[in-house]
Amino acid sequence: MSGPTEILKRGGQRASEDFNRSKLHASIQAACLSVRSPEGEASTIADNVCDAVAAWLHAKPEVTSHDLRRKATATLESFHPEAAYLYKHHRLVI
Amino acid sequence: MISSLAIIAFAALIHASFQLSVSMLTLLSGHAIGAKTAHARLLRLTTSFLCGVAVMTLFVVSFTSFLFQQLFGAATPPLAWAVTCGLLFGLGVAVWAFYYRRQEGTSLWLPRSIARYLADRAKATKQSAEAFGLGLSSVTGELIFILAPVTVASLVLIRMEPLWQLAGVALYTVISLLSLLVVHALIGGGHKLSRIQKWRETNKRFLQFAAGGGLLVLGFYVYVDQVIAATAFAHGGF
Repeated sequence: MSGPTEILKRGGQRASEDFNRSKLHASIQAACLSVRSPEGEASTIADNVCDAVAAWLHAKPEVTSHDLRRKATATLESFHPEAAYLYKHHRLVI
Repeated sequence: MISSLAIIAFAALIHASFQLSVSMLTLLSGHAIGAKTAHARLLRLTTSFLCGVAVMTLFVVSFTSFLFQQLFGAATPPLAWAVTCGLLFGLGVAVWAFYYRRQEGTSLWLPRSIARYLADRAKATKQSAEAFGLGLSSVTGELIFILAPVTVASLVLIRMEPLWQLAGVALYTVISLLSLLVVHALIGGGHKLSRIQKWRETNKRFLQFAAGGGLLVLGFYVYVDQVIAATAFAHGGF
């Protein structure tokens, strides 16, 4: 694969963008912090999830943001189930 | 007097079982904790949100009471009670039918564009004043459902003495805030948001049943107490 993976946004209503590792890292870290994980642990878990997602994206020219989220949730589930629950459901609270 | 206060308290309990404000408080807290906000600041935000909800509830109950007092004086006609009963029955069935969406999580009946807007506002809220405004708007957002208990409470309030009216409005506001106060205390006590949200999701059907059932029970009671009894009395039945 030559360039970064393109992320297609929900419903195609917003412009697509290149995969941004730091954005994913920040969201995973925030989910871990929301369930009162210590900062260091949250950062380590976010690193591990980002590594797994980056490996999964390898050789994929484009994926939807929904698929990216699903993969990140599944990976986070193995590290921190409670954070994964919040990460998965945060759009379904209201 | 006791029965009037009991009706107000019951209407406020039904109000407390509606979940938009609780959802928004949960989201607000989640984003604040996730953004490494200090605990004292988190408490300031959630307290401001609570104050916003309390003030708007107070305004809504006071406004509807004033409106009804201007319209009916102290003697509410049975027709107004009958219309209120219709509202209670209709909203009770509506709560049972579509208060929660049929999907995972605790998604409410709100159009998705509005839900996304509220979620984005909760995420963007950093100042106490913004949290206060969010509290105000969360009550406004759920007006369509809280209209029924507020209407009953207001119709009862206008029959009371002025001092008791103040007590009634305060009682309604405090009881309607109970669910928010519990969530606020849990967050302040350091409980995990995932547990709070899981509890809400696990029990959402019960909360939906309780809210809808409460509206129907209140409607039935008011219908018997204010419409049938008043009509029978007018015809010399009692």
